[in-house]
Amino acid sequence: MQEYTFEKITSRSRTLKNRIMNILITLSALLALTPLILIIADAVIQGMPALSLSFLFSTPVPVGYQGGGIAPMIQGSAIMVAIASLISIPIGVTAGIFFSEWPESRISTISSFSNDVLAEFPTMVIGVFAYATVVLATGTFSALAGGIALGIIMIPIVARTAEESLKAVPNSVKEASLALGIPRWKTVIYVVMSTAKGGLITGIILSIARAAGETAPLILTAGFSNSFVSNLLNPAGSIPYLIYYYGISPYSSWHAIAWGAALILIAIMLSLSLAVRLFAKVRTGLEVA
Amino acid sequence: MMKEDVFSENVSLQGKLAKMYVVGLRAGYGKEIILKGIDLAIRDKSITAVMGPSGCGKTTLLRCLNRLHELSSNAFVSGKVLLDGVDIYSKQVDPVSVRRKVGMVFQKPNPFPTMSIFENTVAGLRLTGIKDKEKLNAAAERSLRLAFLWDEVKDRLDRPATSLSGGQQQRLCIARALAIEPEVILMDEPCSALDPVATAMIEEAMFALKRQYTIVLVTHNSQQAARVSDYTAFLYMGELIEYGQTKQIFENPSNELTERYVTGKFG
Amino acid sequence: MTRLMDIGLEKLSRLVLDMADLAEKSVVSSLQSYLAGKSNTQQLEQWSQELRRIQDEIGELSIEMIARYQPVASDLRFIKACMEIAYGFSRFGRYAYDISEVLELWHDLSRCRQDELKEMIGMVTNMIRMSVEAFAKRDVQLGLQVFELDDKVDSLFRKSMERVSLNPSQIPECDISLLLVMRYLERIADHAAYIGETVSYVVTGKSSI
Repeated sequence: MQEYTFEKITSRSRTLKNRIMNILITLSALLALTPLILIIADAVIQGMPALSLSFLFSTPVPVGYQGGGIAPMIQGSAIMVAIASLISIPIGVTAGIFFSEWPESRISTISSFSNDVLAEFPTMVIGVFAYATVVLATGTFSALAGGIALGIIMIPIVARTAEESLKAVPNSVKEASLALGIPRWKTVIYVVMSTAKGGLITGIILSIARAAGETAPLILTAGFSNSFVSNLLNPAGSIPYLIYYYGISPYSSWHAIAWGAALILIAIMLSLSLAVRLFAKVRTGLEVA
Repeated sequence: MMKEDVFSENVSLQGKLAKMYVVGLRAGYGKEIILKGIDLAIRDKSITAVMGPSGCGKTTLLRCLNRLHELSSNAFVSGKVLLDGVDIYSKQVDPVSVRRKVGMVFQKPNPFPTMSIFENTVAGLRLTGIKDKEKLNAAAERSLRLAFLWDEVKDRLDRPATSLSGGQQQRLCIARALAIEPEVILMDEPCSALDPVATAMIEEAMFALKRQYTIVLVTHNSQQAARVSDYTAFLYMGELIEYGQTKQIFENPSNELTERYVTGKFG
Repeated sequence: MTRLMDIGLEKLSRLVLDMADLAEKSVVSSLQSYLAGKSNTQQLEQWSQELRRIQDEIGELSIEMIARYQPVASDLRFIKACMEIAYGFSRFGRYAYDISEVLELWHDLSRCRQDELKEMIGMVTNMIRMSVEAFAKRDVQLGLQVFELDDKVDSLFRKSMERVSLNPSQIPECDISLLLVMRYLERIADHAAYIGETVSYVVTGKSSI
């Protein structure tokens, strides 16, 4: 009987401690979540009024006029991200393959290191580089310059995630392929890559999301424009630039548009993140019973 | 050109040539010597078991037979391995072609995770250029039957390979290795990750396969060696201690060390 | 390093040696009584049954060890040898009993000569002793000697048979009983020789021949 009582007493204090810890931990988690929630809430509150279908599909109107939209900026962002992807995906994935499959080579170690450095580079500096090269060479701000700048930003991210996804492919899979008499290059391209497909796509989507939100480099490369992109060597509008430009303007109507654009940008980011999450669940591909 | 007296002792090939000869094989990593000079004959169309305590070098030996060992960093190999009289380590021989003749099944089943059962089975054929659908289908059925897996999967060949149980996956790996029609099949402790029922199925498959293929089986389970193999080699600390007919090794081994190992008197 | 199986193997050894002692005692006692003209059939019957019992126990234990431990090499040979030797010893007991039964048939054989018989008895009891010792000590040489003595016993038997057919004694029951007992002794010697040979099998894995 005595033993039972003794246990009861200690278990009571233990449950109390447990509860306190639980509450503290949950509070910290909520605290970490707060800025995100506040930002989204703010954007929703301020931006919702500006949203409408015409917002998404029409061009901007001069101050004072009603209506208008940010369609050219959406198109501009899309084009520049597309250019960036065209540059960064082939280079990044190839680099990732090289880092992962031939790690012993000197070139590999050196490039891998430089890759990591580039990943941490201030994007503004990358913008300056693109300005000094593309903009000065072509004599104009352009979508091309913007795309190139974003591409440079994306390369290390793609390379790093590619390298990690490929490294995550178990050695047993590679050995199985080699043991079948499949040459090494085919093993990498057909077997290792397809096993790492999930991780690769995830990495690419994430780097696209990152590039889509970059503003600083675009200031120095793409400039700004109110019209649709017809020539890659002309300045182009983009969503982040619009938010910046309209956000610091003195017009309240422009502020509303900026909030609307911010909401769109947030929506794009969230949906890309969600897509990645869902995709990862559906296609893990590395489970063995 | 082969000197049979290299293998005097317990090996009497009765005038028949062996499928593979291992001559003076040394192998290891960096400064560590794992195999200290192995001479071994592998008879055709039979199961040769290589047994020994952990670390004796049996897996290294197996991986030297299909030139997989050299792919590890720091690995070194010297000596000869003759397959039908040709040294697979000679400069004129392409390692990739060696692996098409000498297939391998690994300890932990390793089907390609993103491929279906069918795709896995014919992966070796597809990735070496064979696209003919009929050929692939025929090869898949033939291999899956040989691996005793056909009846269980014939209606769900498009399902992912990972949906199979461990024992089935291992049989799938055997089918995959068989599809490219090798001459020798190396098995590295194929049953150690499986339960007794699955093990029994694999052993049954091995028994049927030895009619057409030469099988080299590495096992740490001496009883498995006793059950399935025709010839047994006992390796200890990188040296071949004894080699002979399984019946003789397990009823009356010549070497004191072998006797101690099979009767479980090893520490 | 002691293995699980070693416990069983030790027990098996002990049982076989117990049988050996009892079997030897049985034969010696039976022969002594026969020569002295006394009958102790009941005692011998008891001992024979006891030997059968131990033989069964050895058989059971051997099967159990095979089923559980999958013995190989020298262990397996030893177990097989034990089963066969146990059979041999049980036969000793049986023949010992049979010998005393011969006396029972005629009750009084005091007028018969015993010199031939005594010679054979000496050899056979020696063989029994040697075979038991060879097994206990795993002495291959000793086992081989027993094997060689068997030939001598056989020739003694043949000699006596010849003598009886060419020169029968006046008392028929003496000749008949002599040959009967010699026959049993010859059989005992055979089994002892086999036991000696088994020692070689256990130790070297080959038969001595």
